[in-house]
Amino acid sequence: MSEQNTKSLKKRGKVTIDEKRCKGCWYCIEYCPTKVLQVSEHLNEKGYHPPKLVEEPPNKVCIACHLCELYCPDFAIVVEEIK
Amino acid sequence: MKPGYYFWSGDIAAAEGAIAAGCRFYAGYPITPSSEIAERMALRLPQEGGKFIEMEDEIGSIAAIIGASWTGEKVMTATAGPGISLMNENIGLAAMTEVPIVVVNAMRGAPSTGLPTLIGQGDLMQAKWGSHGSYEIISLYPDSVQETFDLMIDAFNYAEKYRVPVMFLIDAMLAHMYEKIYVPPEDEIVRIERKRPTTPPEETLIYKADDDLIPPMPRIGEGYKIHASGLTHNEKGYPELTPQAQEKLVRRLNDKIRKHAEEIWKVEEYKTEDADVIVVAMGSESRSVRLAVDLARREGIKAGMLRLITIWPFPYKFIEKYNVPYIVAEINYGQIYHKVREYTQDVELLPKMGGEIHKPDEVLRAIRRMVQ
Amino acid sequence: MNPMEEMRREEEKLLRTDRLPHVWCPGCGIGITLNAFLRAFIRSKMDPNKLVVVSGIGCTGRAAGYVNVDSFHTTHGRGIPFAVGIKFARPDLNVVVFSGDGDLFAIGGNHFVNAARRNHDLLIIAVNNFTYGMTGGQHGPTTPTGAYTTTTPYGNPDRPFNIPHLAISLGAPYVARWTTYHVNQLQNSIYHALHKKGFRVIEVISQCPTVYGRRNDMKTPLEMMHYFQKNSVRKDDASFEELELKYNGKIVVGVFRDIQGIPTYEERYEDIIRRARK
Repeated sequence: MSEQNTKSLKKRGKVTIDEKRCKGCWYCIEYCPTKVLQVSEHLNEKGYHPPKLVEEPPNKVCIACHLCELYCPDFAIVVEEIK
Repeated sequence: MKPGYYFWSGDIAAAEGAIAAGCRFYAGYPITPSSEIAERMALRLPQEGGKFIEMEDEIGSIAAIIGASWTGEKVMTATAGPGISLMNENIGLAAMTEVPIVVVNAMRGAPSTGLPTLIGQGDLMQAKWGSHGSYEIISLYPDSVQETFDLMIDAFNYAEKYRVPVMFLIDAMLAHMYEKIYVPPEDEIVRIERKRPTTPPEETLIYKADDDLIPPMPRIGEGYKIHASGLTHNEKGYPELTPQAQEKLVRRLNDKIRKHAEEIWKVEEYKTEDADVIVVAMGSESRSVRLAVDLARREGIKAGMLRLITIWPFPYKFIEKYNVPYIVAEINYGQIYHKVREYTQDVELLPKMGGEIHKPDEVLRAIRRMVQ
Repeated sequence: MNPMEEMRREEEKLLRTDRLPHVWCPGCGIGITLNAFLRAFIRSKMDPNKLVVVSGIGCTGRAAGYVNVDSFHTTHGRGIPFAVGIKFARPDLNVVVFSGDGDLFAIGGNHFVNAARRNHDLLIIAVNNFTYGMTGGQHGPTTPTGAYTTTTPYGNPDRPFNIPHLAISLGAPYVARWTTYHVNQLQNSIYHALHKKGFRVIEVISQCPTVYGRRNDMKTPLEMMHYFQKNSVRKDDASFEELELKYNGKIVVGVFRDIQGIPTYEERYEDIIRRARK
């Protein structure tokens, strides 16, 4: 991962959240280095507030560091690099 | 072993019978009077390319053999009453997850530490009811060194065929008694292997039973992605904690044995055809009872013996078969007696608390009392 | 189709996705640990058909139920001896015991001690959340002295296990400790341990906000994570005292032992078979 981290500033990613699996711990929001995630207002079917993307590019942009994916205890996030 | 005649103890015969049946994995913890089984396995299994491990306790031993059985090996452990008490939780796991295992219990005087070197038959009910919940196991109990060897092969065959724990009972007397024994040639030994799935992994539900109520058993490492859990589970093996899943699973676990009970039952009917009184006996105790029956016949009393070889599932049809008074001679304060009473009112208990079998004249006196 | 299925195919293939969402509470660290384990395994490029995951009972004991490989949910405390049976019977398999602190060190403590002593070739992932979670938050063999649980309402009088020190004293060739905050280090550690032999122990300090944190001033998952973040110190040559976990104290993490060349039980037994067959 360290290699990826050094390159990651130039990279861009796309975050996808599987809301059904999310239990609203918000680790992804907390540990996102560019703060592209925030708590959504709506509830998922289990009654949790899943994260959603902050839509304020270009300052808040996903750099595909995958930390949210690694911290997610619920296998609910995936980050795709945008080519 | 090469075919021929040997002079073995019951413990050695149990170990050699297991090897002859195809057992190649043993995990155990020493305990009198079963330790010689472990010693024999430690010596013999590596010669056959098998594995022997002495674990830290009986709980570890049975957990290890259940794990090893999933790799496709035929497996065994041996212990005595105190060890069975420790193993019982995992006997339930093996019953629930349908893992073929053979557990030898060399019964000694009990309760607790009791009489470690002397005979007891206090574990007959424990063999069936030791773990929590409604489940069926198979339990066999020979009365000679030769039968120990022969019956051990059946024990493995039953475990494999029905995917069930088999509790192989011997007793302290039989465990340590030496007798002449004949080991048959290889081609005379019938071995049954567990059913394996015939469908590819992606099409296989690992706990879906066939019409005989027994699911084929995959091996670890073949891509079946086995999931086995002691939780109530569905045909996929996944936990399903509902009354419906419980009803389906627990019924099947019991019925797969009950429906095949007649195939599993083994008894010896000694001079019972014309008997006016029948003594029910098992294991070493039956050797004394057999003599008592002969002595009674000399006095003109038509006595017979029904020796239970299959203890569980209980061979009740043989009790129902005779309309005569029964005596149950056992080395405890009444266990199989209660089982016999389920099928006849005319039954008397001849108990002994342990340490020795009944003397033939003690049994004879009971027979005389019964016909008076 | 669930977009996850396509995007994170490898990990998804190793999960029994038809059972998700899993049983673990919001913010439970077991999911993070399982995530790290699966990614480490994918990186190792080892054959999933040769991977076996064995768990005992408890919250972490449910891990076996979510991995899409041969997996066994055994009885309480018996994951290790069950795994011993599998590994000893089939040494070519890659056997991992994934279980919790109460399961591995209290009820299963004797098995841990003796399996480590014999140096079975097993990877032990010991998730330590300081408590019995499944039963409602009683104190366990790793609960720090002074901590509040449902069975220590006046504070815990017990002394907890020092797991890395215990494992080292038993001769375990690979011993590490991380917290769930250390997602990358944990994944790397599991990756390295997967390539080594012998009784390998990785303790993962994990959060149970639901029944432990809330009784110990860390009510939310994030508060527990912040505790790990602020109090963890890496020190690979830590002493016994430093490795001890004090109530709300420092958490020393690192790889405390990493040696090779100790024959495993399975290797030694191959020699036994050779001798017996002479």
